[in-house]
Amino acid sequence: MSETQGVTITKTGQAGAFGGEILTVNFGPHHPSTHGVLRLIVDLDGEQIRRIKPVIGYLHTGIEKQMEALRWQQGVVVTDRHDYLSPPINNLAYALAVEKLMGVEVPPRAQVLRVIMSELTRLSSHLVWMGTSGLELGAMSMLMYCFRERDAILDMNEEISGFRMHTSYIRPGGVFADATPRFLEMLDKFIGTMPGHVDEYENLLTMNPIWRSRTIGIGRLSPEDAKVLGASGPMIRGSGIAWDLRKTMPYSGYETYDFEVATSNDCDCYGRYLVRIKEMRESVKILRQALDRLPDGPVNVDDRKMLPPPREELETSMEAVIHHFKLFTEGYSVPAGDVYVAVESGRGENGCYVVSDGTHKPRRVKFRSASFVNLQALERMALNHMVADMIAIIGTADAVLGDVDR
Amino acid sequence: MIVDTLIIDRGVSAGDAWITVPSESVRDALSGLRSEGYRLMTFLTCVDHLADASRGGAPGEGLRPAAAQGGPPPVDDFPKRFEIVYQLRNLESREQLRVRAFVDGDPPKIDSVQDMFPPANWDERETYDLFGIVFNGHPDLTRILMPDDWVGHPLRRDYPVGGETVEFSQEHEKWQTAPEDA
Repeated sequence: MSETQGVTITKTGQAGAFGGEILTVNFGPHHPSTHGVLRLIVDLDGEQIRRIKPVIGYLHTGIEKQMEALRWQQGVVVTDRHDYLSPPINNLAYALAVEKLMGVEVPPRAQVLRVIMSELTRLSSHLVWMGTSGLELGAMSMLMYCFRERDAILDMNEEISGFRMHTSYIRPGGVFADATPRFLEMLDKFIGTMPGHVDEYENLLTMNPIWRSRTIGIGRLSPEDAKVLGASGPMIRGSGIAWDLRKTMPYSGYETYDFEVATSNDCDCYGRYLVRIKEMRESVKILRQALDRLPDGPVNVDDRKMLPPPREELETSMEAVIHHFKLFTEGYSVPAGDVYVAVESGRGENGCYVVSDGTHKPRRVKFRSASFVNLQALERMALNHMVADMIAIIGTADAVLGDVDR
Repeated sequence: MIVDTLIIDRGVSAGDAWITVPSESVRDALSGLRSEGYRLMTFLTCVDHLADASRGGAPGEGLRPAAAQGGPPPVDDFPKRFEIVYQLRNLESREQLRVRAFVDGDPPKIDSVQDMFPPANWDERETYDLFGIVFNGHPDLTRILMPDDWVGHPLRRDYPVGGETVEFSQEHEKWQTAPEDA
């Protein structure tokens, strides 16, 4: 066993196909290309991968345990933090689950605002993916371009919710606050410029010979494997299966928007890249439709047992004071039962399974994260590839380790 | 085909259909459902019903009245402490079905289904790690999220939040003192 710069190599004694010996190499957990802290134990024959065993848990923060100790409305803040690149979509899954148990329907304006935030999040998540993946495969300038647009999205997050990243904007019963006129202006401007920026990214990558040679034919995942392994998001659509929860099991009124499900029959890293590019264009289309149709009206359900009364009512109404006091000391209780709600996040099916025992705290909240399931397909994709290709494959699987470990 | 004798109970909770099967025949039930088209297991998890005092009696003893009428399951009537939940999906018809099985014992045991549903492999490891459920026949039932030398199963409801010593807290000084022979 020799150790150089944190890389541990063990000789297995088995003979490889190239006259050498199969070596077991430790990769990570602290490695810039693992998008967090992912450790891989890799069996190498020369430079070819014969076996990969991912070791996860380095970012486990006990989010599901914390949810059991928090009241229903407090849990929203924690949901932001498991998939830290798409907080509003995590909020949405949790909010929809709680609303389904309570039998609550949010007003139309809140529905549209939720769609707007979901699509902005999908864009920012794909931008981070493209920037960092480009960086790993040698397209250094991608990061600068992508983070420029991501910053515009974070500015909008700040304008509408007060926070740049962990917005906690979507809550059971509606959203945190109405969109400001300035937010709508920023959004309008963003929708106008974004398609041109996507063209820029395509100019930089789609026909780029280095990018193509690093991704085409790398990390093949056949449609059958994608189905059997439970892959979702760009992973399954990159294998030619048009499975998008926004179309197949619509929520929040997605069935009323006109957009296409991006798929690619390439089944490789390049295919997954094309899917994400197409999805960014479709997201801009959805944003335009949502902004055009944004109806007037309240953004929260009119239920004093679930959401606090407006500030000015507290000075005139005794009822309002009582509701306010009850909500902030005890919270609201949710009828007993269990429910599973899944929404489409930037990286696949982001689900929330909630069990209520009729009290003001959940009995169990389980997050079904897309990254956790997609990462299990890693071995199938990376087998018999070179070590360097493994970086591209981890990149296009787009696992967020906070989401994997929760 | 799944035979009706395997179903102890069925119902609908907030629009989600569910069935309860005996824990010893969970493999038969799930392979039957798989051949019916429920080929994807969205997730597998466990719910700890420690707080319910009314447990007792043989598994599946009697139908739950409210549930039999399609209402939500009454929470204070779970036959055993741990409820294993399998969420299945039919990708063609887009139907979803939740399969529940109740287990008890120390350690609680149930058969593994990871050979039928590959995504269940890590889910079963996670459930073992966080709840201490042993899945018979799992090829590599080790901890997945917690460190290998961790003691206890954190998502059990008798495991307190904050039960772990936090670095830089007041207890930290006691905690960081290494044993004599270290």
